[in-house]
Amino acid sequence: MTGGGKGSGAVFPVLASALLGALALSAATGPVSISPRAAFDAIFLGTNDTPARILLSLRLPRSLLGALVGGALAASGVAFQALLRNPLADPYILGVSGGAAVGALTVALFLSADASPLLPLCAFAGAALSALAVFLLARRRSGISPERLILMGVVVGAFLNAVIMLMVTLAPPGKIPGALYWLMGDLGLGTPRRVAVLFPYVALGAVLLYLLSRGLDLLLLGDHAAFQAGLSVERVKTATYLTASLLAGSVVAVSGLIGFVGLIVPHGARVLVGSGHRRLLPAAFLLGGAFLVLSDTLARAVSPSGELPVGAVTALAGAPFFLYLLRRNGGRS
Amino acid sequence: MGRVRIAAARLVFAGFLPALLLASVIDRPAGAADRFPLELKDDRGVTVRFAAPPRRVVSLAPSLTEIVFLLGRDGSLVGVTRFCDVPAAAALPKIGGVSDPDVERIVALSPDLVLCTTDGNPRDKVRTLEEMGIPCFAVAPQDLNGVFTAIERLGILLGAADRGRAEAGALRRRARLARSGFDGAETPAVLFVVSTAPIIAAGEGTFMDELVRLAGGRNAAARFSGRYPRLSVEGLVAARPDVIFVAGMSGVERFPPEVTRWKEVPAFRDDAVITLDGDLVTRPGPRLVTALERVSAALADWRANRPKAPAAGAGGER
Repeated sequence: MTGGGKGSGAVFPVLASALLGALALSAATGPVSISPRAAFDAIFLGTNDTPARILLSLRLPRSLLGALVGGALAASGVAFQALLRNPLADPYILGVSGGAAVGALTVALFLSADASPLLPLCAFAGAALSALAVFLLARRRSGISPERLILMGVVVGAFLNAVIMLMVTLAPPGKIPGALYWLMGDLGLGTPRRVAVLFPYVALGAVLLYLLSRGLDLLLLGDHAAFQAGLSVERVKTATYLTASLLAGSVVAVSGLIGFVGLIVPHGARVLVGSGHRRLLPAAFLLGGAFLVLSDTLARAVSPSGELPVGAVTALAGAPFFLYLLRRNGGRS
Repeated sequence: MGRVRIAAARLVFAGFLPALLLASVIDRPAGAADRFPLELKDDRGVTVRFAAPPRRVVSLAPSLTEIVFLLGRDGSLVGVTRFCDVPAAAALPKIGGVSDPDVERIVALSPDLVLCTTDGNPRDKVRTLEEMGIPCFAVAPQDLNGVFTAIERLGILLGAADRGRAEAGALRRRARLARSGFDGAETPAVLFVVSTAPIIAAGEGTFMDELVRLAGGRNAAARFSGRYPRLSVEGLVAARPDVIFVAGMSGVERFPPEVTRWKEVPAFRDDAVITLDGDLVTRPGPRLVTALERVSAALADWRANRPKAPAAGAGGER
């Protein structure tokens, strides 16, 4: 159960270099052409001309944001799939997305004229509130059952979706595009400050989940068996739920709703390293980061009409690839 | 209501004589078709027939409402959209929005004519109205000249043919005047944005693109395909617009500071960001000419005060 199912230790260097390669490719892509020489000067000699500023304050923050967001979504997806013992679980399944969207739309549509600084904060607050609501609704004296969590999550999510539709219908028309782009997932908000704000949340969440890996392994066996194995099941579940929600909520706050990564990347990572969480979590993080950075690069490079929403690209480009991966490895996950 | 009608009648009368003179000068061969009973083909190719000028008209777009008022036929309006903000239309019943007109409310007003657009109004709702026996006349102007033609055609349809020709002629003259005086002058790169966060620009095939070209600029968003391309900050820096117009809709009039600090963009460096009422440039109605006048004036301003740009200072590449 734990440890390397398949592959060797070489998987991690390969995944890490894939992520680095994706970051480099992403930083090299854009409407302004920047020579490798100019890029080198900008990074190592601290030049301050236009190409250097474009590279350092537009492209790299965006790429790094993509890596953080993709990694966090994938790790959060791994945690939810273990917690709910359900391969269809993703970071948004329990209403985090709906809560974040309601929070963000409230600011974008109905509050101040220039709401951009407030938006991530309110999205995060919305995500945290709805995650907490689902958690409290699902908890009973006997503990938290995965079925109850899913049921409550889906109900709260449906309710919030209705609220979203209502808000978009009632919103002043001029304010709708910004909110819709945000809902579709958007890495264009990547600024050095946003990366710096997001980093501690993602680092904390990822480390906490990693520390919970043994517990997640045991949860997959079922509550009873996990308890027999000496696990304080409820405590692990609570910690997992809150940590995974923190990851998903903080990511949604800065990048909007980017689908697919949190659902499918965990399965891809399982194909590569097996289902032991000590290896699965870091592998999913690296794979998710590389995948989202590449998708965003594609979104910027392919579309002649400016930019595509990255959320569309993750599913368009990712679905066929992962179908191939999953079929080739015949139902491994 | 009555007062409005009297005022409108007075306007019609005041416009009548010069219009008649003008009409006789222009001498259109279509003159015979102006009279009722009337058969007119709309921009979809659908023919409507009227024995007398329609008396109960519903407008499904703000631009059409504005044209009806311009023609002095607002007395015949019985319903408008909630976006039709001509002050005098405030008291008229609202039939919903442009993209979501309420068919039931329209039918309840028992109109004898519904004015609609082909891009904006849902086709199936217009078809439903037609199936219920309500004639629908669709207008689809593609450029400024199309707007003038639409005014003339709606004039014919609403029994104000002379007024329509006079108003369209006056608008044509204003447009010509706004365009004069820059022949051979420098053409600034102009970006027209409809949203500042995210940055969404007006590309080729939009009215804003035409305004920029008519005013003697070139559209900096033409390098991106699509009618409304979305630009990254880097895309904006690469497009290097000299002047930026913001078609202000509520709440998105200004660029966030992390965008305006890119002084590589001449418009940010020289403080050449101009906000225009979004309704002026997105509605294919008579006020498009006002927008053209504003854009022309702003570009004339730019030419007059154009700072001597340092040749190498503002960004090395491209």
